[in-house]
Amino acid sequence: MTETAREIIESYRGRPLRIMEVCGTHTHEIFRLGIRKILPEKITLISGPGCPVCVTPAGFIDEAVFLALEKKVLLCTFGDLIRVPGTQKSLAKAREEGGEIRTVYSPLDALETAEKNPGKNVVFLSVGFETTVPGTCLAVRKALERKITNFSILGANKTMPNAYAALKGSADAFLYPGHVSVITGTKIYEELREQGVSGVVAGFTAEEILSSLAAIVRLSGKKEPFFLNCYPRVVTREGNPAAMALIREVMQPCDARWRGLGVIPGSGLELREKYISFDARKRFSVPEMTGEGNKGCQCGRVLKGEIKPCECPLFGKACTPLKPVGACMVSNEGACSAFYQYGEN
Amino acid sequence: MCVGLSARVVSIDKGTALIDASGVKRKVSAELLEDLEPGDYVMVHAGIAIARITEDAEKETDKIMEALHDGNGTGDH
Repeated sequence: MTETAREIIESYRGRPLRIMEVCGTHTHEIFRLGIRKILPEKITLISGPGCPVCVTPAGFIDEAVFLALEKKVLLCTFGDLIRVPGTQKSLAKAREEGGEIRTVYSPLDALETAEKNPGKNVVFLSVGFETTVPGTCLAVRKALERKITNFSILGANKTMPNAYAALKGSADAFLYPGHVSVITGTKIYEELREQGVSGVVAGFTAEEILSSLAAIVRLSGKKEPFFLNCYPRVVTREGNPAAMALIREVMQPCDARWRGLGVIPGSGLELREKYISFDARKRFSVPEMTGEGNKGCQCGRVLKGEIKPCECPLFGKACTPLKPVGACMVSNEGACSAFYQYGEN
Repeated sequence: MCVGLSARVVSIDKGTALIDASGVKRKVSAELLEDLEPGDYVMVHAGIAIARITEDAEKETDKIMEALHDGNGTGDH
C-alpha cells in the first residue's frame, strides 16, 4: 500500500531538515491547516520573504504618504499596504489626515479609476512579485495605448530568482511559490538545482502542501540537489509566455531593497524608457526616501529565518495585529501575524 | 498577496472573460492566455486570468504520491 504524505512526513527520523516556505500564502495556509503541528522534531519550517508587503521597505510607504499628502494625488493600493508603518505614518494615518487613498482589487481597477476621474492624478502602488507584475504592466501599456495621462505607478516590484540565490544556505530546501511559478515557469528551479539549491513547487490545498513536504522529505534522502513540480495542474515548465513577454516589454531589471535582506542586485523591476512617463517618482519629483523602521522591530531577522516571530521582544506586546509595529504583523500573510493568530510560540 | 482564485470561464468577449468562482461572477482580463474558451478552468490573480487549470487537485496529488512511492520523484513534470 502506498504511504500517505502525512505518514512520510511524520515518520521522518533523518538529519535535521530546514524547509523555507517562500510564499506568504503558503505560510498562512500551513498555519491555518495545522500542518506545523504534525511535523516531527527533525523538520523545521521557516517562513521566508515571500510576502511582498513584508519585504517592502518603510521608505516606500514614506513616498506614498508624500504623494497623498503633499502632491494630493489619488492613491490606489492593494488593501494589505494600508496599515504598514512608514517612518512617520502609515497610509491609514495619511487617509485620516485627508489623503485620498482607495483600495483596489486589480491594477486595472486603478486605471479605470483614472479614466473616471480625469481631473485627478491617480497613482497605483505597485508592489508584488511575478504573479502581480503582469497586471501592472497591462495597466501601464493600456494607459499608453489609450493616452491616459493622469495615471502612473509608484513601483516596488520584485522578482524571486535572485532572492533564492541570496537565501541559499538559509534552508535545506525551498517550498517554491505556486503562483509566482505560474508566470515564470520552472526552468529557473532547474538552474537553481544546478547551483545546489533544492526545492519543490507547491500548490495551496492541504493535499498539495502535504504532498510537497513529503516530496522534500523523500528527495532529501538522496543527498543530491533536487527539484520537483508538485503543482503541475497549474504550473508548467514554460510558465506564462505572454505574461513574461509583457513584463520584458514594459519593465527592466534593477537593484531592489528588501526589508531585512538589504539590496539584492537585479531583484527589482522598473519601467523601461518607453513607459517612463508613467513613473510617479519622476512625474511628481519624489525626493529620495530611504525610510527607517522601528529600531526594536526584528522583521528583517524573521524574514531571513534567523529568529521566530515570538523571539522578537516586541511580539505580542508592543506589536500586535491591532497595533502593528512591523510589516510582518500587518499583512495577513506575514509570519508574525500567522504566529500571533494561530498561537504558536 | 499571490493568492489565486480558481474559476470557470463562462464567456469571452474581446480579451475579457466572465468567470464563475463558486457562484460569484465577475469580469477579468483574459489577455494573457491564448485560445481560452467557455468551460475552461483558470487561475485568476488580481483581476487577471494567469493560467489554465488542467486537472483536479486530487488526481494531481495521487500522481505525485505514486511517483514518490515508485522512486521516480526526481523528474521534472
